[in-house]
Amino acid sequence: MSKLGNIPVQAKSEKKRTNPLARVFDELIQFCQSRSMFMLHYCTGCGAIELPPAMTSRFDMERLGIQPMVTPRQADILLVTGYVSVKTLKRVILTYEQMQSPKYVIGICSCTVNGGMYWQSYATAKVLNEYLPVDVYIAGCMPRPEAVIMGLRRLMSNIENGKGNAWKDYYERYDYYLGNQQHLFGDDWQTPVDVIGEAKFYDLEGEETYGEHTRTLEQHQEPLEAAVMRVKL
Amino acid sequence: MSVLDEVFILCALGALVLFVFHRIRGIEKLAVVFYAALLYLLIKMSGLGYGGEVIYSSFSLNILGETLQWRFDAVSWFFAIITVASGLFSAVFMSGKWGESYREKTSNAAYGTLQIALLLNVNSMLILLASGDLLSLFIGWELVSWASFMMMALNPDKQARQAAIKYIVYAMAGAMAFLAAMAYVYGITGSLQYAELAQASAALSNGQIILLSLLFFTGFAIKMGLIPFHLWQAVAYAETPAPGAVFLGAISARMGLYAIIVVLIQLIGLGHLQQIHIPFTFWNLQTVLAWVGALTTIIPTYIALKQNDARHLLAWHGVGQGGYMLLGLMTLNSLGSAGGLLHVFNYATYQAALFMTIGAVIYRTGTANFDKLGGLVTQMPLTFMVMVFSIIGLAGLPPMNGFVSKWMVYRSLLLDGEPLLFVAAVIGTLGTILSVYKLVHNTFLGQLRVEHQNVREAPLSLLIPMLVLAAIMFVTGMMPGLVLDWVASAQLAMGLVPVTYNLGGIVLASGGLDMIWITLILFYGLGVGAIIFYLLGGRAKRVHQYDNYAGGHFLTSRVRYHYSHNFYAGLMHLIGGWYRGSFKKLEQAIVSLVSLLSQLSENMYRSAQPAMMVIIVVVLSLWSISGGIN
Repeated sequence: MSKLGNIPVQAKSEKKRTNPLARVFDELIQFCQSRSMFMLHYCTGCGAIELPPAMTSRFDMERLGIQPMVTPRQADILLVTGYVSVKTLKRVILTYEQMQSPKYVIGICSCTVNGGMYWQSYATAKVLNEYLPVDVYIAGCMPRPEAVIMGLRRLMSNIENGKGNAWKDYYERYDYYLGNQQHLFGDDWQTPVDVIGEAKFYDLEGEETYGEHTRTLEQHQEPLEAAVMRVKL
Repeated sequence: MSVLDEVFILCALGALVLFVFHRIRGIEKLAVVFYAALLYLLIKMSGLGYGGEVIYSSFSLNILGETLQWRFDAVSWFFAIITVASGLFSAVFMSGKWGESYREKTSNAAYGTLQIALLLNVNSMLILLASGDLLSLFIGWELVSWASFMMMALNPDKQARQAAIKYIVYAMAGAMAFLAAMAYVYGITGSLQYAELAQASAALSNGQIILLSLLFFTGFAIKMGLIPFHLWQAVAYAETPAPGAVFLGAISARMGLYAIIVVLIQLIGLGHLQQIHIPFTFWNLQTVLAWVGALTTIIPTYIALKQNDARHLLAWHGVGQGGYMLLGLMTLNSLGSAGGLLHVFNYATYQAALFMTIGAVIYRTGTANFDKLGGLVTQMPLTFMVMVFSIIGLAGLPPMNGFVSKWMVYRSLLLDGEPLLFVAAVIGTLGTILSVYKLVHNTFLGQLRVEHQNVREAPLSLLIPMLVLAAIMFVTGMMPGLVLDWVASAQLAMGLVPVTYNLGGIVLASGGLDMIWITLILFYGLGVGAIIFYLLGGRAKRVHQYDNYAGGHFLTSRVRYHYSHNFYAGLMHLIGGWYRGSFKKLEQAIVSLVSLLSQLSENMYRSAQPAMMVIIVVVLSLWSISGGIN
C-alpha cells in the first residue's frame, strides 16, 4: 500500500486464476464498461449547477455514453457535487453502499477535496476519500463543464486501462473507512447494507476488511438477514 | 327423462338436504360432492358445446294459458358450465380452513346459511339459463336476484347491508322494466313464447322496437352493472364473504349478458339492431349498445384505480370487464362476438382466482386494506404466483387466456373500422394494467410489515382451487381452441357466423393468432435470457428489505417507505379532476325526486286540508261528468 498525497493507492491484487482463458474478454468488457455509464448525481452543493450544461446539448455528456440515472441500483458513477455536511455524508455513504459493483465515485469542487471554503466548519466532512474511495477529484470552485467532462474522460480511461479499482478498496480496507465513519458519526453507526457480506460475495475480503471497527460494528449491528421466500403451509 | 330433468332433480334434492342439515359439521364436504355431481351432469350434456341438439326438460307447466318450459341450448350450456364450475371452486374454497374460521367467527348456522346461499345461487342461475320462454326467464331472473341478495346480506357490516339493500332496489327496478317489456310483448303478440316474439318482431315498427329494447336492456343492464347502472355492484360484491364474492364476482352479473343474448340478439334479432337508426343521430341501435359497453370498460375501471381496498378494486374491475363482453358481442361479427363470449369464461377464471387470493390474504392477515399490507410475497409465495397469473390475465397480456379474448375484441373492432371504440377499449385496458399493478404491489411487493413477519402461506384447502384455476388460465391461454369449441357452438345457437379457429387460436385471412407459438416464443426468450445470465456467471444476491433506496433515507420498521397510500399521485394530478361523481349525483337526484314525490302524496293523503280536497273532488267529478277520457 502506497500513498499518493492523501489518496491511498492499492496495488492490484494478483490472485492466480487457474483458467488460462479467464482474461480473454477482460479488455473488451472494460472497454464496454467505460462507454456505458449511468451516473447518480448526488447534488449536495453549488457544483450541481454545472451539471445541466454538461448534460445538455452544449457539452452533451451523452456522446460519451454517460446518462443520468435515478436509483443507485442501476448507477455506475456517484457524483458528489459539493460540500458534504455530516448529516449528508451519512446519506452519501448509504447511497454508495447500495450501488452495485463496479462503482465509481467522482468528487467535484474543492469542498470534496479539502473542505474548500467550509474548511473551518464544524459540521462538514472535509476530505471525502477518508469515508469513501474516490476515483477522480475535479477541483475548482466550481469546475466548469469542460473540467467535469475532462474528469469523466479521465475516469473512462482509467476504467479502460483497468485502473478504476477504487471500489475494491472499499471492501479490502473496509475497517479503515468504517473507522473514519465511526469517528464522525459515533460507534453505533450502521447502514442497512451488509458490506462484509458483499465483500465475501465479490471475493474481495482482504486483511484489512476486518479490524477493531468492524468488531465495534458487530456489537451494535441489527441483523441484516434478507427475507427468504419460503412456502410454510 | 332427459339429463336436464336429472339436473333439476339434483338441484332440488341438494337444496332440500342442505336446508335440513345445514347446521351439521361436514355438510361442506357434501356440498362439494353436490357441485361435482352437477358438473358431471353438465359434462354429460357436453354434446351441446360441440354442436349438439337442444335438450328439453320433459315437464312443463300451464298457467293461464301460457306454457312454461325449460331447455338447454349451447348458449345456456356455456354459461351453465361456468356457473357450476365457479360454484364448485367456491365450495372447495370454503370447505376447509376458511370454513372453520368463519364458523368460529360467526356460528354453525351462519356458515350453513352461506352454503345454502351459494347453492340457491347456483340453482337459480341454472333455472334462469334453462328458461324456454319469457315468463320462465322472468321467474329465473327474480330467483337469481333474491339469491344474490341473500348472499350479500350475510355480512353483518353496515356498509355491506346498505349495499345489499341498494342492490335489491336496483334489481327490483330492473325487474319492473323487464315486466313492463313483457307486458308490452304480451299486448302485441298475446303470448310470451320466444318463437312468437321472434316472429312478431319482424313486423314491429321502429319505435316499438326501440321502446322494447330500451325496457329489456334496462332490466338486463342493471344486473350486469352497465353504465349508467354501475353504482350498486362493486360494493355489494366486495363486501360479501370471500367464497360468495368469488362466485358472485366470477359469474353472477353475466346473467345479464345471457339475457341480452337471448332477448336482444336471438329474439329481437340482428337485423333490427343494425337497421334501426336512433332519430336525430347517425347511430343505430347496435352502435349505441357498443358504446354503452365501451363506456362501461372505461368508467368503472378508472373508479377501480382509486379504490384503497383490494376487494373493492377487484369488484370494480368486474363491472368494467362486463363492458368488454358487451362490446365484443355488439360487434355482431363472428370474431368479436366470439371474443365477448370467450371473455365470459376467461374472466370467470381469473376473477375467481383473484378473489380467492384476496380471501387468503384476509384469512392470514385479517385485512384487505392497501395501507395495512405489503411485502407478503416472501410469506405467501404461492398465493402471489396465482395473483400474478391472474392479473396477467385480467390485464390481457400473453400467455394467459385474457389476452386471447381481448385480442379478438380489438381485432374485430379494427377490422370493422371502429377506431373510436378500439381506442376506448384500449383506454380501459390501460386503466386495468395500472390498477392491477397497484393491487399486486400494495399487497405482495414492497416491504413487509413487522406484524406480518410470522404470516404463513395460505392453507392447502385455499391453495388447491387457486392453483387449479391458475393452471386453467394458462392452459386455455395457450390452447384457446379448447374453449372456442363451446363458443362457436354458442354462436351458432345465437344465429351468428361461428368463428374459425384451431387449437392454438384464431384462423383469419388478415392475420390470425396462434397462442402456442406465442407462448413458446415467450418462454424461448426467457430461456435465452436465463442462459446468458447464468453462463456469464451471473449470481443473484438477496438483500435486506430496508436496504432499499429512498433518496438516501434510512429505512426502519417505523419509516418503511412502502409507497401504497395515495398511489399514482402523479396520474391523479392529471386525471383527478375527472372524478366528479356525476353518476352518484344523478343517483342522489333520483332518490331526492322519489322522496319528494312520496312526501307530496303523503301530504295529500294525511294532512287535513278540506278546502283543497273539496276543490279536487269537484274538479274530478265535473271532468268525469263531462265525458272523462272519452
